[in-house]
Amino acid sequence: MEEKIISKENLLKLCSDLLKNNVDIVTPGEKGYIKIKNESEISLNSKSKHTKASFKEYVFPKSEPIIYYKKNQSDVEIIEPKVEEKTTVIFGAKPCDVRSISILSKIFNWDYKDEFFNVRSRNTVLIGMMCEYADEFCFCTSVNLSPTSSDGSDVFLVPHDENTFGVKIVTEKGADLLKPYENYLSAGNSEKTKAIEASVKQPEKVFDAEKVRQWISGNFENDYWNSIGKMCLGCAQCAFVCPVCHCFDIVDEDYNYYEGRRMKNWDGCQFDMFTKHASGHNPRDDQSKRYRQRISHKFKYYPDKFEEILCTGCGRCSRGCPVTIDIKGIVTEINELAIK
Amino acid sequence: MEVKEVITETPDTTTFRLQFKDPEVAKSFNFKAGQFGEYSVFGEGECTFCIASSPTRMEYLECSFKKYGKVTSALARLNVGDTIGLRGPYGNYFPIDEMKGKNVVFIAGGIGLAPVRCIIDNVLDLRDQFKDITIIYGARSVADLVYKNLLKEWQERKDIKTIVTVDPGGETPDWKGEIGFVPSIVEKTAPKSDNSVAIICGPPIMIKYTFPVMTKLGFREDDIITTLENRMKCGLGKCGRCNIGNVYVCKDGPVFTYTQMKELPQEF
Amino acid sequence: MDDIKTVAKELLTSGKVNAVIGYIRYGNDKRTKPFIAQKPEDVDKFVINNFILNNLAVYLTRKEVSKLGKVAVIAKGCDAKAITALIQENQIKKEDIHVIGINCNGVTKDFDIDFNSENIAGKCLNCDVRTPKLCDSLVGALADIPSGEDLKLKMIRGVEAKNAEERWDYFEDEFNKCIKCYACRQACPLCYCEQCIVDKSIPRWIESSATKRGNFSWNLIRAFHLAGRCIGCNECERACPMDIPLSLLNRKMAMIAKDEFNYDAGTDMNAPTLVGSYDLKDNEDFIE
Repeated sequence: MEEKIISKENLLKLCSDLLKNNVDIVTPGEKGYIKIKNESEISLNSKSKHTKASFKEYVFPKSEPIIYYKKNQSDVEIIEPKVEEKTTVIFGAKPCDVRSISILSKIFNWDYKDEFFNVRSRNTVLIGMMCEYADEFCFCTSVNLSPTSSDGSDVFLVPHDENTFGVKIVTEKGADLLKPYENYLSAGNSEKTKAIEASVKQPEKVFDAEKVRQWISGNFENDYWNSIGKMCLGCAQCAFVCPVCHCFDIVDEDYNYYEGRRMKNWDGCQFDMFTKHASGHNPRDDQSKRYRQRISHKFKYYPDKFEEILCTGCGRCSRGCPVTIDIKGIVTEINELAIK
Repeated sequence: MEVKEVITETPDTTTFRLQFKDPEVAKSFNFKAGQFGEYSVFGEGECTFCIASSPTRMEYLECSFKKYGKVTSALARLNVGDTIGLRGPYGNYFPIDEMKGKNVVFIAGGIGLAPVRCIIDNVLDLRDQFKDITIIYGARSVADLVYKNLLKEWQERKDIKTIVTVDPGGETPDWKGEIGFVPSIVEKTAPKSDNSVAIICGPPIMIKYTFPVMTKLGFREDDIITTLENRMKCGLGKCGRCNIGNVYVCKDGPVFTYTQMKELPQEF
Repeated sequence: MDDIKTVAKELLTSGKVNAVIGYIRYGNDKRTKPFIAQKPEDVDKFVINNFILNNLAVYLTRKEVSKLGKVAVIAKGCDAKAITALIQENQIKKEDIHVIGINCNGVTKDFDIDFNSENIAGKCLNCDVRTPKLCDSLVGALADIPSGEDLKLKMIRGVEAKNAEERWDYFEDEFNKCIKCYACRQACPLCYCEQCIVDKSIPRWIESSATKRGNFSWNLIRAFHLAGRCIGCNECERACPMDIPLSLLNRKMAMIAKDEFNYDAGTDMNAPTLVGSYDLKDNEDFIE
């Protein structure tokens, strides 16, 4: 992996040039990931807290049309929308966020290929940054990630000091992005990067994901699920701020009698309506069954199918939960039950 | 697809005969008995159900649906000549090749006859490749029986055994068929289990009580096959609602053997 | 004054209730989470402090909780208002619950911040129910609380000063952030409908997409459904992951209910509800 150094000044120039060249830059802002208009808005703070929502929306929008239809007497005309091929740079994302794209890519590309996701992720360049924030909800190390992991990033930044950043060029896509701006980069100092990475405080590893997976396999009917089910209020805050939750709904919306569109909208497994049949029968008719699905999907079903944990340990779901249902605490408890 | 014919099966169940509007699509479309489709009424949404006609009869596709929710109610309002959308075929199918040379028992309840009908017609069109064929079908009442003409046709055939039953209290004064719940009629009929395959579909309660009867009759769990339904949206293994444990009903199903179902978490 | 653990323990050991809904510390000193104690020893974890933000009344109408049988619930004054409103609206029966009221010394706006005049929740500033009106037991003692600026009221005045078009744009921008996670609805003790209007599809009244139109209709209709009913606990706004200032509309509605009809939601469990009753003297000059 090639390594370079960039000064803060040149980094801002780089962003300014990218913006001029019609590249969208998305960065962690005060309230969430934002599309910036000016390079000064760029986030260079590796100590910042996670944004409330992840940048998932930029590759998998909260609502998007999948077809437009026009009705004419008894005939119907269908128009398929095209996703714009425009480069988006996600700048300064934490390793736990960056990793989400490759995890999501598995579900959107097994069997049928979801072009809406693929066009966007193909056009997204991920500039990750080492993370120096860890609170009691963080657990990236328990899901095989780390605050210094460049896994998933195209380019990875390691702050050497306030005005200097180590630049790891991880992928070809990253190299292609930086190529026109080579003069902003100088020779790398990988020794320093390594030393800084080694000094970063790692969240403690609190569970063994494999043990958790095995426990879930044998404990579908365990009473433990009820203890969480009665506390959960059944909203989808956790799923919607999650970088890797990907369930969706499909609904039609008429503009008027003749025209409309079919929308793909985020949906969440904690909603009672999610699995309710038209007949009224609901296979997951209790909040504990729905919560069991959430944890099982993340730590068993997805790993079984795609060899990937459906969780990056960012802790967003727990920080934002109205009743502080803490996924880290729950999975740690499951780990303890598994050891017993 | 164009609605070519609307058949009112029961007060709340309708069958559509459909034809592709694009002849190219019509030529290239093929499916296997047991697969399903996503049918859409534009402006109302999509709805999931099986293709009820047999792949050996490609002149039309047929689907039957019960009026329950938004989309099925909208479908029920359509007339001949209207257009609906179809995505599919999706999912797995009945193992018809493995059934060849065996006795086949079909058991269905209510609207559950629709997914079984495609494989019945499929088998009947290849009649000489199968041994004894038994059809046991029941509904709540005489009025709730679907495919009444087909039932009559099947009952008139000498080379198959067809038993039609209604739940106690659902009979009319001139009802000549059986009276009783499907599981007990199956037990009474006692189709032979040797070298046999059973295909079962109906409401969850019927399935629940029929499975033990089948094992009692000596059917191997691998030879008891059913087709499941779950709420679905994409049909492509992505939207995340139809899974039962590791299994996506839309991809790995809807057809499952009793052996497979026993291994799944009991959440359906 | 009794302490919370003693009261809760007595209720459980005597069998008067099967469960007590309260708060336990979680993660750090500046955070709590709801907890349902079903065994007497469970209540040892209970705390009362300035970080008991949740309105536990939300649990009273949940199927998973009501199947526990008779429950006791810890309630701040504002939470007790929600319980009162639920009784008024026939969602729960007074005899089925035991309210453990607390003398409340204010709470923070959010977790993980210090309790001081800057961070005190807006609803606590002019609170008139620091001792709950509805309670079967009462715990804790009143103390002085920090005063602070009522920023939400300032925001309401700011929105009032806008003209209709500016107001529309303002709310459109705010509602555009909505992702339709329905955390506002689920955290609201008075959003108890078995099937929410947004989930009804025949006909579909509110588009479920998180688009301009879908978001505007959802947020506005939810505000209307709470008109004269919202007791101002502000849980919807706290639950919102997108920081939409939902309380502006809710509080403005409550102000109108007070000014026009002299009605305070959740103050009298025997009173008829505002939208469920009428008086010949009701102000009707808004009908044009």
